[in-house]
Amino acid sequence: MTNDGTGQSTADPCHSSLPRRLRHYASAVWAENIKEWKLELTYPLDFLRSLIDPVVYLLPYVFYGIALVGGRFSPNLEKLVGTTDIVSFITIGYVFIGFMNMALWAMGFSLRKEQMYGTLEAVFAAPVPRWIFTMGMSMHSILHQFLMILVQLLFILAVFSLKVNPLGLLPALAMIGLMLIALYGIGMIMASTTLLFKQGWLISEALGSLLMVVTPIAYPLAVLPLFMQKVALAVPTTYGILASRHFLMGEQMGFSVLTAFVRVAVLCIVWVVFGLVVFALIDRYTRRSGTLSHY
Amino acid sequence: MKEELTPALEVQSVVKNFRRGRGLKRKITRAVDGATLTLPRGELFGLLGPNGAGKTTLVRCIATLLIPDAGTIKVLGHDAFKDSLYCRQRIGLLTSGERTLYWKLSARDNLNFFAALYGLTGKARDRRIDYLIELLGLKEVERDRLERYSSGMKQKVSLARAILHDPELILLDEPSLGLDPQFARFIRQFIKDELNRKQGKTILLTTHYMDEADELCRRIAFINKGRIVNVKTPEQYKRDIPHTEVLEIRLQGQPDAAPLQALPGVERVASDFKDGVTTLKVVAPRAEAVLSEAIEHLRKGGRILGIDIKQPTLEDVFLYVTGTSLGADTAEHKPVAE
Repeated sequence: MTNDGTGQSTADPCHSSLPRRLRHYASAVWAENIKEWKLELTYPLDFLRSLIDPVVYLLPYVFYGIALVGGRFSPNLEKLVGTTDIVSFITIGYVFIGFMNMALWAMGFSLRKEQMYGTLEAVFAAPVPRWIFTMGMSMHSILHQFLMILVQLLFILAVFSLKVNPLGLLPALAMIGLMLIALYGIGMIMASTTLLFKQGWLISEALGSLLMVVTPIAYPLAVLPLFMQKVALAVPTTYGILASRHFLMGEQMGFSVLTAFVRVAVLCIVWVVFGLVVFALIDRYTRRSGTLSHY
Repeated sequence: MKEELTPALEVQSVVKNFRRGRGLKRKITRAVDGATLTLPRGELFGLLGPNGAGKTTLVRCIATLLIPDAGTIKVLGHDAFKDSLYCRQRIGLLTSGERTLYWKLSARDNLNFFAALYGLTGKARDRRIDYLIELLGLKEVERDRLERYSSGMKQKVSLARAILHDPELILLDEPSLGLDPQFARFIRQFIKDELNRKQGKTILLTTHYMDEADELCRRIAFINKGRIVNVKTPEQYKRDIPHTEVLEIRLQGQPDAAPLQALPGVERVASDFKDGVTTLKVVAPRAEAVLSEAIEHLRKGGRILGIDIKQPTLEDVFLYVTGTSLGADTAEHKPVAE
């Protein structure tokens, strides 16, 4: 029971009913998200830069594609994936770099950031499971990412008049939702490895480079060597990109929509379970070794 | 056992080792060595020891931030590791060091965030935060970013965060460390009068300030090199060496104090070197009796800056019992064979 000094009190959330505990965890996730927004907005120029950068980085991809193809529409692209518009193709693919960065960097470094603030022990002493903090951080990253995508899409719409099927938006978002769950699993692994290794960014860097190569961001999956295509099929962003392009601009995926959803659902289970297990093991290791507050 | 009769904290034979380095250079240090403590509800209990004695490690084990290598810890009768969420809800932790809050956020934003982690939401959260802000005198600055606060003000916010969820057991790790005397006095009074006397909280306070332990705590455990040496009231400790005096000699440089230990009548000698000056404390039944011989020995070692004969304080009792001065740094104290 909590005394607020007025004689009134609130019930203790631990050892209470499941719905009450879930509400407690949900409010902790929301609070983590709000706290991150407040911290981020203390540097408004940096925040503005984070919105403009993705547009600036997208343009070389677009111009490079147009220069190689000799125009916006490519008959060769149509032969490979059934659509000709290279600008829409690259733009939709490119927004997924942000989702990869979210898992590898924003989520991956969530606990590292708390270590650097000096607050990791204070938050870990709270009565919520520790994966709640990575979930709150991923919520902030996802919202941030959607804001960046919105700016990118508005820019491309204004300059190149992006051609997409608006009816495909809902199924594309459903696929992205599943992809984000699977990416959360990868983010959990990255978050825990940064607790274990002082130079955890090296792992993020290496994995980020690998994912950039195998994920069909600016080129169709079919141009990759066969073994790379197989690696790409274990990466959730591959399905997010292929399905989004399929729903929004009619790209042929090489497999059915049902197959894509089933495969992503399986990847969700595999990555989330793997992520939780790795996180629990490393959390236990750091509490045994006493390295939790080291950075 | 009825819940009211269950002790607030039971620590039984806790051992914590730290491993550093790899391969042949690997070293294991025992930070806590079989610590056993029982705190009944409502007690303000002190853990007194020099830097590196194992106080913070023991507090971190109780707060479930570290897993001990052996032993058990129970909070209000619940195992701290099997039922860690229950225990964390009932523990308020104030760790030492300033950086335990978000400096870019205001006091209220910090407290709002931590309130959500402890399951406080809506009006109950707002009432509780209003109450603590008022109680700790933070009303004027509650919307300012913490980076603009003094160390003392930050410590007040840390204290508010530690007691935000109205915990039964409060762990205070060096709460007045590095604070100016005015804030240190405020924090001490708040702990004793508000938290312990008025609210009846059980408090485990670690400190290496003898005055703080003497002023606040009903019972004090001496901890040295990871071991809890004794648990008594301050008065009992002082009675332990009733016929003893302390000869305090301050000298320039670092003289060899070992020969003093061999002087007839000398019970303990401790040496503390700081800023080029050594303070020697010689515990003896009659300090005057060993004075001339002690000076004779020390004259060659360096210029004597001052000599004083004192009645034993709690700090001297610590020295008497453990052979270590509270000002000493005893980190890396006990290597353990792997």
